[in-house]
Amino acid sequence: MPDLYIFKAQVGMFDPVALQDQYVAIHYIQSIFYRKVNFVEAIPPFQCANLGAIAAGAVTARTNIVNLEMADNEFGLFRWWTIDDVQVRLYHPAGIAKAQLRNLQVPYDMNTVNRDPNLVSSEIAVWEDNRPAMEAINGSALAIGGSRIIAIGYRFHTEDMEDKDDQKRLAIVKNIKDGLQPCTHVWCSGRGIGD
Amino acid sequence: MLVEDRIIVNSGVVNLAVAGVAAAAVVYTIPILAGQLIGIKSAKIRKVILHNNVAGTTTVLVGTGVGGAFVALLPALDSINGFTDIYDTLNGLPEAETFLNITAYPVALGAGTSIDIQLELEIRG
Repeated sequence: MPDLYIFKAQVGMFDPVALQDQYVAIHYIQSIFYRKVNFVEAIPPFQCANLGAIAAGAVTARTNIVNLEMADNEFGLFRWWTIDDVQVRLYHPAGIAKAQLRNLQVPYDMNTVNRDPNLVSSEIAVWEDNRPAMEAINGSALAIGGSRIIAIGYRFHTEDMEDKDDQKRLAIVKNIKDGLQPCTHVWCSGRGIGD
Repeated sequence: MLVEDRIIVNSGVVNLAVAGVAAAAVVYTIPILAGQLIGIKSAKIRKVILHNNVAGTTTVLVGTGVGGAFVALLPALDSINGFTDIYDTLNGLPEAETFLNITAYPVALGAGTSIDIQLELEIRG
């Protein structure tokens, strides 16, 4: 199943990472949850956050993006961009920086979409209500009226495969762990440097 | 590309019949849609068209607010007596963006005359 991977770089709208009855391994911080997808739907582009007006050279508070939260047993897969002239630092969850190198946390900005038209580099997944957070930086010499974030993606409803009383499902999880059963790994959080 | 961020709309034709900043009239109202999650859209001015109803050669200011709160979005635009003047981003008009309703006023008018104004805008957000 060659389509079972994240960060797909095809032109246009991106594919879902799993379909009905396919397995996913949801990574959140140091936890892994093995689950099966039983519902998928696409989410059209929408304004998920406005981090607000920013004075020249100022930075907004780190703001939880509550509009990207998902319901219980669901994860969301999103690509996002900013339509205002700000740089955005992403945290996922609020305490863990994303796009972090050894000496720099790389920000996203309006040019991201020019250099990465499919927004592969902005792809994130959100497990239940473990939402990301963002900070916007106005690096210009002018105040700006808003710092708006647009997101697009998919919603996946899943069911647990690790019920201790269901030997059939546990056998499937063992096969996934042994590499005998295909499974998409979905990272629903960042990871600290050296973690 | 996932993003094509251009929704083009026009304002209505607004008749500016009173000169001076205190009479700045709303030319375009930023839309607030019922289902809008965040509630802030912005507009970029793409074109300004002015028709001078034999009001005398003057200038028209386009900005936000009225009276002391007026803030210009563009420099004063010439309106030639009896002519239609078109200012276009393809020919040098900056794409000034605002989150506020757009207002305009003529600096001076001949008695009993007026200037008609219409904007073309790009809506974002």
